Amino acid sequence: MLLPEQMTKILIVGSKARFKETIDVLYRLEAVHPIDFSAEEEGFSLGTPLPTASEDSQKLLKLRSVEKDLEVVDKPMAEKIQTAKVESEVGEAIISLEAEIAGAVESKLRVHNRISELQNSKKLLEPFTQLSVDLDLYKGYGSIDVFTGIVRNDPTDDLTKAVDRFEIFKSSDGKFVALFVAKAESAKAQQILVTQGFTEIPVPAGKGDPQEAVKAIDSELEALGKSLADAVEKIAKLREKHEAFILASEEHLSIEVEKAEFPLRAGTTAHSFIVDAWVPQKSLAEVQKALREKMGEDVHVEVLEVALRKEHIHPEEVHAGVSEEHVVGTPPTKTDAKKPVGFFSFFTELISTPRYGEIDPTIIIAITFPLFFGLMVGDIGYGIPFIVLGALGLRRCTTPEWRTIATMLFFGGIWATLFGFFLFGEAYGMHFGVMGTVDATHPFGSELTWSSMLQTELPHLGFLSKLTDVKLILYITVWIGFAHLLLGYLIGMFNETKRHGFRHAFFHKFGWIMILGAGAFLLLFIVDVLILNKPVGIDDPRFILGIALILPGIAIAYLGEGGQAMLELPALLSNVISYTRIAAIGMSKAGIALAFNMIAIEMIAPMGGVLIIAAIAIFVVGHLMVFILAVISAGIHGIRLHYVELFQKFFVGGGLKFNPLRIVRKYTIER
Amino acid sequence: MAIEAGLIAIGAGLAVGLAGLGSGIAEKDIGAAAVGAIAEDEKNFGKGLIMTVIPETIVIFGLVMAILLWIKM
Repeated sequence: MLLPEQMTKILIVGSKARFKETIDVLYRLEAVHPIDFSAEEEGFSLGTPLPTASEDSQKLLKLRSVEKDLEVVDKPMAEKIQTAKVESEVGEAIISLEAEIAGAVESKLRVHNRISELQNSKKLLEPFTQLSVDLDLYKGYGSIDVFTGIVRNDPTDDLTKAVDRFEIFKSSDGKFVALFVAKAESAKAQQILVTQGFTEIPVPAGKGDPQEAVKAIDSELEALGKSLADAVEKIAKLREKHEAFILASEEHLSIEVEKAEFPLRAGTTAHSFIVDAWVPQKSLAEVQKALREKMGEDVHVEVLEVALRKEHIHPEEVHAGVSEEHVVGTPPTKTDAKKPVGFFSFFTELISTPRYGEIDPTIIIAITFPLFFGLMVGDIGYGIPFIVLGALGLRRCTTPEWRTIATMLFFGGIWATLFGFFLFGEAYGMHFGVMGTVDATHPFGSELTWSSMLQTELPHLGFLSKLTDVKLILYITVWIGFAHLLLGYLIGMFNETKRHGFRHAFFHKFGWIMILGAGAFLLLFIVDVLILNKPVGIDDPRFILGIALILPGIAIAYLGEGGQAMLELPALLSNVISYTRIAAIGMSKAGIALAFNMIAIEMIAPMGGVLIIAAIAIFVVGHLMVFILAVISAGIHGIRLHYVELFQKFFVGGGLKFNPLRIVRKYTIER
Repeated sequence: MAIEAGLIAIGAGLAVGLAGLGSGIAEKDIGAAAVGAIAEDEKNFGKGLIMTVIPETIVIFGLVMAILLWIKM
């Protein structure tokens, strides 16, 4: 139930003449995870694609080029197109489409090229427009050299000193220069230019005033801009007209090509084919029935084995990162998380796919993650908006990332509201009932509560206050840590028993369960000794029990894991203490909320007048900040407790995801 | 008494502050390496996150110490 679905390995053997139909049936079943044929078996060779593959791929290629030319993008379409229509029309449609768009696309391309050409020459001309020298005057001298380019400093003074015959033109900012110098002295002049940081800009081709040339280019660009817009519009019209059919055809052809290439994953002889595949146990009968009905005697299904949870690969290799994908013959993992647990599967996938022989941790995340989140927030004022936001997100969002965040907010919000109501009794960092001393000046308590703010006596809700019962909440969170980690170890023990047998599980997990139990007894003892200062000695039964558990526990862990277990021991302690972050984050949020409440309600609001608006503004902005902080800190720390503390106790991961043959159609429907 | 309370408060502040600094220093290198690994292969996100937050426990220790001190005030 909690383990991934039981898999069965089957062998499908059949006549090659009916391979295509068999492939269609397999795709339609959506329950067959094929195993790629390894071409090592004697007498078999790797299959070759069905004859339709090459024609369809060619069509697909052409279609995709049309798609690119027309800039068609994936988007939801109002109606779906029949596959029969696609099949009968796509061949001719591609030819007519290509002819229809060729003109528009070509003219667009031509205009585009001309525009970038012109823009280039304009860029080259631009520096020369700053000098009033015609372009043809830069060239064609017998005894003069011309240098044009950018300088860092003005070279005129240096040139005057060293060179006799030269003329220099400078732009108004002095950065762009054109130097005309006698050939005999050009080497000297060039040297001076170089010392002033000269970078040459070649003289562009052309005649006459460069400013005129730029004007001419600008007017041509304007005209081209119009024709480009025309071309783009024409293409947009074509796109609108054809995109539904193009998207549908592309989808259908991709599916057909994928199906036609399926034989590459199968083995064949001259007249028959074989396909190895994994099928979920519960779909096996359905697969057999479908093939028998459709194919009769031509295709035979042989059940080879039911996949065992046990792994033959050495556990150390698994930890060293050997993924299932590299181990031939390992069954795929099909986790069967239903709503609402399935909403959380993204969190598991973020770490890794569970192995075939281990419990899918999604269910634990689904239970305890919102619980931790709610404990950390623990406030009706934030909880209810979380629920609303989460519900909105679940309704609107489509990407898995946002859906996951919405899931966290929705379920976390429910717990936050429940804890806020029954455990902490607070909204926006303030309790409901009267607190503090009650006297003539403070008829509704000296402390800031909803009662004192609204000047009415409200019932007191909850048992704890995040800021005054810190010690107790810390203590509770440590116990939450013990419980959560114990759950982790128990699952770990179950997984190890399934995958490597009880002996392995005993040495790798049971020792740790004993150590954890000992820790719990010792915690009770230590709290009495150090914090409550009770007169208890080492003959206390909890101490004795703790020692009696921890010593054999360490011994078992040492036998199982060796010296590494000694290093893990303090890590386990820090894991338990790590859960106190639940208290710490709740407390810090309550603290920030309290600060804003005091500033807004006790300090500013009593001044009256316009300042009441300021107080409301501070209240709103402050709580919005706490609200956002709550999402970030409670969310991240909540999931972290699962990833770092809990998962390390049992989760190995690296499984192969169940990936059956299936077809997803967005733009087409089959008859 | 006032001096004692003040010293305790300073101690609590140091416990949280220094532990936070320590976590930060430890996390910065891991975080940078993790981002590099994720840039190479997004599948490393989970592992990267785990590695990055491991030193975070230090600051929780500091915080627990601070709270215990504060309770004694």
